[in-house]
Amino acid sequence: MSHGHDDPTLHPEVQMSTSRGYFSGFAISSILMFVATFLVASHAVPPFGLLMVIAVCAGIAIIAQIYFLLHIDVSEHNIWNTVALVLFMPLFLITIGLTWWMFSQLYLRTMIMPGMMH
Amino acid sequence: MSSHGSNVDPKTAELWDKSHYQHDVISTRTFGYFMYLLSDGMLFATLFAAYGVLSYQHSYSGGPTPADFVKPWYTFAQTMALFVSVLSYGLAMNALKHKNKSGVINGLLAAFVLGVLFLALDIHDMTHLASSGITVATSGGMSAFIILTQVHAAHVFFGLIWILVMMAQVLAKGFTTDVVGRLLTLRMFWHLQAIIWVFVFVFVYLWGYMS
Repeated sequence: MSHGHDDPTLHPEVQMSTSRGYFSGFAISSILMFVATFLVASHAVPPFGLLMVIAVCAGIAIIAQIYFLLHIDVSEHNIWNTVALVLFMPLFLITIGLTWWMFSQLYLRTMIMPGMMH
Repeated sequence: MSSHGSNVDPKTAELWDKSHYQHDVISTRTFGYFMYLLSDGMLFATLFAAYGVLSYQHSYSGGPTPADFVKPWYTFAQTMALFVSVLSYGLAMNALKHKNKSGVINGLLAAFVLGVLFLALDIHDMTHLASSGITVATSGGMSAFIILTQVHAAHVFFGLIWILVMMAQVLAKGFTTDVVGRLLTLRMFWHLQAIIWVFVFVFVYLWGYMS
C-alpha cells in the first residue's frame, strides 16, 4: 500500500512502465499490420477469407496494445480501469453492430439494386 | 491487505482497507481521464457505425470509392509513424520512472516529430484527394470516410499540442504531482490514438481498398 506520496515518480502508474512492454506491444502490432497490409496489397487471399484474416490481425494488435501500452490487467492498481473497459466494450460493439444490422435490413427492404452488398 | 487467515468469517470480514493514508490524487485523475477516453471511444463508435452504413456501393452514388484511391503501403507508412511515436512516448515514460529529465524530453520530442510526420502524411493524402475532386461533398460514403479519418487526425493534432505543453511544463516545473499526472493522462490519450488507428487502418483503409 505504499503509494509514494512524497515523490510522484514513485507512483505505481509511473513504476509499471517497462521498455520491454512497450517494445513488445510495438513489435506485435507492427508485424500484424505489416502482414495485413501485405495480404491486402498483394491480393493473395480471396476477399472473404482476407477480411477474416485482417480482422483477426486487428483484434490481436488491439489486445496487445491494450495489454502492453494501457496496462489493462487485473493487478490491484489497474482493476477498475479493466472493469470500465470490459463494461465499455459491449456498448462499443452494440452501437456499431446494431446500427449496421438495422441499415443493412433497411437497404434490403427498401432498395432494389444489383450488387448492393460489398 | 489486512491480517486475516485463510478462514474468512463473512460476518466480521473487512472488505475495505479503512486506513487510507492519503488521497491518491494521481490515480483519481487518471481514472477520471480513462472514463473520458472511453466516452471518446463512443464518439468513434458512432463514426464507425456511420461509415458502416454508408460504405455500400450505392453510398458512393457512382463516384469514387476508397478502392479507387487508397494506397495500402502509403497508409502503412502512416501506421508506422504513429506506432513509433507511441513507442517513443512509452520510452519517455520509462525515463520518467528513473527521474531522467532529458530522457523524458527526448522521448516526447521524438513522439512529437513522428506525430507531425503522421499528420503531414494524412494532410498530403487529403489535399491529394481534394485536388482530384474528392471532398466530403462528393457522396455520403466519402463524407463518412473523410469525417472518420479526419476526426482521428484532429485527435492527433490536439495530442501534438499537448505534447508541446508537457515538454514546456517538464522543463519549467520538473516532476511535480501535477506534471506527472498529466504525463500519465497524455500517455493514455496518445496510446488510445494508436488503438483507434488500428481500427481505422484495417476496417476503413484496408477493407475499403479491398471492396
